[in-house]
Amino acid sequence: MTRPGAGPSVAISQQDVRRLCEFLYRRTGMSFADNKRYYIDRRLAERIAATGCGSFADYFAMLRADAEHEIEHLVNSFTVNETYFDREEHQLRCMTASLLDELLTRKGPDETLRIWSVPCSTGEEPYSIAIWLMEHWRDVDKYNIEIVGSDIDTSALQKAEQGIYGERALMRLTRDVVARYFKPLSPGKYQIDPGLRESIRFTHANLVDAADMAQYRDFDIVFCRNVLIYFDDASRRIAAENLYDCLRPGGFICLGHSETMSRISPLFRIRRFPDAIIYQKPGADHDEQQ
Amino acid sequence: MPLIRRDDNKTAAPREPVADAAALTAALGDPDPDRRWRAARSLGSDAGAVPALAAALAAEQLPQVREAIMTALLRIGDAGAVAALLPSLRAQDAALRASAIEALQAMPEATLPFMTALFADADSDVRILATELVRNMPAETATPLLCDLLAHEPHPNVCAAAIDVLAEVGTPAAIPALQACASRFAEVSFLRFVVAVAIDQISGAEH
Amino acid sequence: MTSNSEAGAAAAPRRILVVDDSSLVRLYYRAALEKAGFAVDQAINGIEAMEKCLVERFDLVIVDVNMPRMDGLSFLRALRGSAPEIASLPALMISTEAGQQDRDDARAAGANFYLVKPVSEADLLSHVALLAGAP
Ligand SMILES: C[S@@+](CC[C@H](N)C(=O)[O-])C[C@H]1O[C@@H](n2cnc3c(N)ncnc32)[C@H](O)[C@@H]1O
Repeated sequence: MTRPGAGPSVAISQQDVRRLCEFLYRRTGMSFADNKRYYIDRRLAERIAATGCGSFADYFAMLRADAEHEIEHLVNSFTVNETYFDREEHQLRCMTASLLDELLTRKGPDETLRIWSVPCSTGEEPYSIAIWLMEHWRDVDKYNIEIVGSDIDTSALQKAEQGIYGERALMRLTRDVVARYFKPLSPGKYQIDPGLRESIRFTHANLVDAADMAQYRDFDIVFCRNVLIYFDDASRRIAAENLYDCLRPGGFICLGHSETMSRISPLFRIRRFPDAIIYQKPGADHDEQQ
Repeated sequence: MPLIRRDDNKTAAPREPVADAAALTAALGDPDPDRRWRAARSLGSDAGAVPALAAALAAEQLPQVREAIMTALLRIGDAGAVAALLPSLRAQDAALRASAIEALQAMPEATLPFMTALFADADSDVRILATELVRNMPAETATPLLCDLLAHEPHPNVCAAAIDVLAEVGTPAAIPALQACASRFAEVSFLRFVVAVAIDQISGAEH
Repeated sequence: MTSNSEAGAAAAPRRILVVDDSSLVRLYYRAALEKAGFAVDQAINGIEAMEKCLVERFDLVIVDVNMPRMDGLSFLRALRGSAPEIASLPALMISTEAGQQDRDDARAAGANFYLVKPVSEADLLSHVALLAGAP
């Protein structure tokens, strides 16, 4: 299978694919049914060509060393890794259907509910959270809610502050919602309504830097999606401890839907809600187990 | 508008003043687990803290704080840090062994000089756990280490553990050692099985 | 000891969750169990096992002791302390640790049986049959 620009294709055996899948499963928790193997074959061949590796063995060595973030490139090649509004809607539903009720039993009426989207990339995620709350949470007017979006990438943060998106990013939103929260700028371009833009704070944060993360405390919910799985073991562990400190006792952490805490950290409790599995910092109440 | 924004970064309670190393090492023994946790987290950039972290690890009962101590050692990442983690491989508490393996696995360069001694350890349980420590090493380093182990190893479970790592990281140079191991333990069907799978997987890379 | 047998559960095969950090061990158990007619799923450590037990129904869990991030004993304690539907899930613990203390710890954590590796196919299947019945 040669593609324009790709070098001569390298032979890949079934055993190679099995070895690769075992490695990915151990590292990331992603697993592929046998009937998906053909699909992986193709992506793998593309990545081998793109990296200029001369054999599967060379490529696998590169992957194991995670040279040039190859794990991320490979995973991206077979998952849709595009950020858009209401990506992972089940977690947003879980937030309004379950998490908030539980959090609010511990809060007084004038305490602020604090939500953090980290990494927030170009802002789709924190804006989705805000819009979701306003559209779907009956008690939205009773509480003060603070939403912060952070990322290590300052140019992404600038885009987040501008809040200008194309049609594709809005594909999951209804026309009504788009009309309520966005202003059309030009054909196919929409900007988040200024009131909403100004109510979310965007900041720089590096998940693995403890000093940086020390500025962020007392969050009730942290959305940390689609980043930890690409870190090496040491960074995952450090980031998990940093996030632990950013949460209030009993606070929740939501990972991306193909991510699992089983590859990241034992610090959090696993909670099953009707819409999603969510992780929780222990220590809020009497039901202390473990 | 129920959404509020605070632009000052001072939402958190004022931080305690930065403590010096002596105060932090003392805090590792504080009765308050939060203070122990914070002390451990602050000591990860201080190679001088290894003896204090080692002592704290031996005494610590809370899993969370143990995690933080081990993360600090892993961040320090030198031979002293490895030496401080190794005793936990002999712990009776399985959770402690699990955290220690994970921390050591994340520091392959620092762990490498200890491998020969670990693979010669009198306790087969330690040898089994030690095989995991080469999983993140480059194939050219891991393969001969594990093959040498296989060549002399009397315990089938240690062999199986080594073979599991070889199946992921091994080069075709491991095949003779794998074959020899299978014939040495011809009566153990489990070992025959794992050797066959490992050889199949490793030689898939040859063509 | 629960055996979870439902009268006339003929349709779907019994489901077993294999929890071990060694891919070759998981493969070995899976091959033997599938040949005997069981449906098998896998987890690499106690956290992943817990995640699976919370969302899917199993008839038996086979669990190792030494695993990264959450060991088998911590997993069993968490399992036995969780919601009643899953707290009574039968558990066969299979480990390399052969000491009396290890067996006692396993029993205290909630293992129904404890076997020491390496385990033959026949031994595996006979203990599985005791806890999960026929496939
Ligand atoms: C795939 S995006 C995820 C965006 C969003 N959470 C989602 O799921 O759609 C990954 C983001 O992680 C950010 N990132 C990478 N390393 C980081 C670090 N150490 N600290 C904070 N953000 C980081 C990148 O800048 C990028 O915006």
